[in-house]
Amino acid sequence: MEQILLHNISKSFQVHKRPEGRLGLLRGMFRRETECIRALENISFQINGGELVGYIGPNGAGKSTTVKVMSGILTPQAGECVIMGRTPWKERVGHVSQIGVVFGQRSQLWWDVPARDSFALLKDIYDIPAAAFQERLHELVSAMDIQPLLQTPVRQLSLGQRMRCEVAAALLHRPKILFLDEPTIGLDAVSKLALRDFLKHENRQSGVTMILTTHDMDDIEALCSRVMVIGRGNLLFDGGLDMLKQQFSPYRCIRAVTKIPADEMPIGGAVKTQVAGREWTVWFDPAATPAHSMVAQLAEQLPLADIMIERQNIDEIIAAMYREMKI
Amino acid sequence: MRRTWKAGLSLFKIRAAEGLQYRLAALSGATISIFWALIEVVILSVFFRYGAKTADSVNSLTLAQGVSYVWLGQLMVMLQMPGVDTDLHQKITNGDIGIELCRPLDLYWHWFARSAAGKVNTFALRGGLVVVCGTLLTLLGFDRVGLGAPQSFLHFALFLVSVFSAFLFSGAWSMFLTSIRIPVTWGDGPINLITVTGSVLSGTYLPLQLWPDAMQSFLKLQPFASFLDTPARLFVGTVPIKTGLLSILLQLVWTCAFVLLGKLIMQHGLKSVIVQGG
Repeated sequence: MEQILLHNISKSFQVHKRPEGRLGLLRGMFRRETECIRALENISFQINGGELVGYIGPNGAGKSTTVKVMSGILTPQAGECVIMGRTPWKERVGHVSQIGVVFGQRSQLWWDVPARDSFALLKDIYDIPAAAFQERLHELVSAMDIQPLLQTPVRQLSLGQRMRCEVAAALLHRPKILFLDEPTIGLDAVSKLALRDFLKHENRQSGVTMILTTHDMDDIEALCSRVMVIGRGNLLFDGGLDMLKQQFSPYRCIRAVTKIPADEMPIGGAVKTQVAGREWTVWFDPAATPAHSMVAQLAEQLPLADIMIERQNIDEIIAAMYREMKI
Repeated sequence: MRRTWKAGLSLFKIRAAEGLQYRLAALSGATISIFWALIEVVILSVFFRYGAKTADSVNSLTLAQGVSYVWLGQLMVMLQMPGVDTDLHQKITNGDIGIELCRPLDLYWHWFARSAAGKVNTFALRGGLVVVCGTLLTLLGFDRVGLGAPQSFLHFALFLVSVFSAFLFSGAWSMFLTSIRIPVTWGDGPINLITVTGSVLSGTYLPLQLWPDAMQSFLKLQPFASFLDTPARLFVGTVPIKTGLLSILLQLVWTCAFVLLGKLIMQHGLKSVIVQGG
C-alpha cells in the first residue's frame, strides 16, 4: 500500500513586485503590485514505503514547496495529501513525529553549543527512551563517523561535518520517511560520497522512505531508482532513471580522434556525425547498432588515433529535457 | 503534554549551556545595567532633594524606597528584553520556522519554553550581578545609593512569588508579541513601539508611584505593572500584604489573558504562514 499519496495538490503565493524605474521604490510605497505565483498545480503522485525517490526540477519549480506541504509546514489551497493515514497540515504533531527532515540550506542544530546537546534536546522533543536513544546514537555516530565532532560547538564545524550531524539529528527518532532538501549542497566530493553511502545504507537497513530534492544529478544517479521531474508547478515525468534516459537521450556518443584530418563522410550506423578538425563525434542508437559494431565500423572507415565511448551525462540529459519541455 | 514539559526542561538546559559560554557578555551587560541604575539613583536623589515639597516621601514613596525600586528595575528589566526572542525572530524572518514546525510539539508552548529559557539566562546572570552590586554598595556603607533591605520577611517571600509570576507574565507577553510577528514579513517598528510602551508602564523608567495621582488606579490595574511594579512595591513595602496578594493574583490573570490571546493569534497566523526562502 502506498505510504504517501498526493492528489491534485495546488498552492499559490502572492508576490509583491516593486514598480520599475527611478521612482519605483517610492511608488511602490503607495501602490503595491502583486502577482500570483502558482507554485504547484495539480500535483499527484504516490510513493510506497522504502522507496528512494529523486525529486528534481530547475530553481523555482516547486520542489521545496512540495516538500513543505508533505512535511505539514504549508497548507495547500486545494488537493488532498495523505501520508501514513494522516493529512500533514491537519494532524501536524502526529505526522511530524513520524518524519525526519534535512534542509541543506537550514540548520536544526543549535549554533552555539556542541551537537551532543542538540541531540539530547531532540531525545526529549521526540520522547525517545534513554536506551533506544543511546543505541541509535551509537549507530549513527559510527556510521557517519562523527564521534570526534560531538563535543565541538556547531558553529566551529565545517559544512561537511555539520551536514553529517544534521542527517544524524534527522534520523535519531527513527522516522519512517525522510525528506532531504538539497542535502549535498556545498559539500566536497568526499563528503558527498560518504553521505550518499550512508543514505543508501540507511534506506536498505531500516527501510526508510526517502525523498530527495537536489540539483546534483550524481546524487540522483547514485541513489534513486525513481525520478520525478517538476517544472513550473507541474509534474512532468515520473518513472525510472533508465526510462528518463531512454526518453530524453536515446542515443549514445563516441568521440574519436584521427591520426590525420579526414574528410567528412557518412558513417554506417551513425545517427548524427560532427567533425571538428581531427575530432569526430558520432551518435548512434544502441538499440539498433550495438556499441562494439559501431566501434568496428569507425575503425574501418577512419584512421583512428584514439577512441572514447562517452557515458551518458545525466546533467546534459536533464538540461535537454528542461529545454524540450520549455521549463 | 508530558512531552512538551520534558522538552521544555531540556530547552532550559541547552539555553543555560549556551548562555554560560558567554561570560564576558553577561559581565558587560551587567556593567551597563549598574551604570543605568546609578544614573537613575542620582536623578531620583536630585528630584527628591530639590523638586519634592516634602523631602522624605513623594506619594508615600521615600527616597530610600525609590532607590531600591530603581535597582530592582534593572533586575526585572531582563524579563522584558527582548520582546520577541532573538532566535525566534531570526527563525521567523529567514524561514527556519519550517524546522520548528517539524517538531511534534505544540508550537506555542515549545516557543514559550524556548523564549522563557532565554530570559532566565540573562535574568540570573546579568540580573544577579546587578543585585549583588546593589547590595554590596549598601553593605559598604553607601546606603544612599545601594539596594536596601526588604520591608519584612513576609514581604520578601511575597516578592519572590511575585518575581516568579512576573517571569510567567513575561513569557506570555513575549509569546503574544511573537505571534503577532509570525505572519508579518517586515516591520519590527510596531512591535518596538508596543515594547517601549510596556516598559514605560512597568515603572522601569519612573516608579509608577511617582506618576500623577489621577492615573494611579489605572497604573495598578494595567498589565505591565506585573513586570516590575508589583514585585518592587512588595519588596520596598509600599503595599500592605493583602493588597500585595491581590496584585499577584492580577499578575496571573494578565498572564492567562495573554496566553489565550497569543495562542489565538498564533493559530490564526500559522494558517497563512509563509516559510521564507527555498
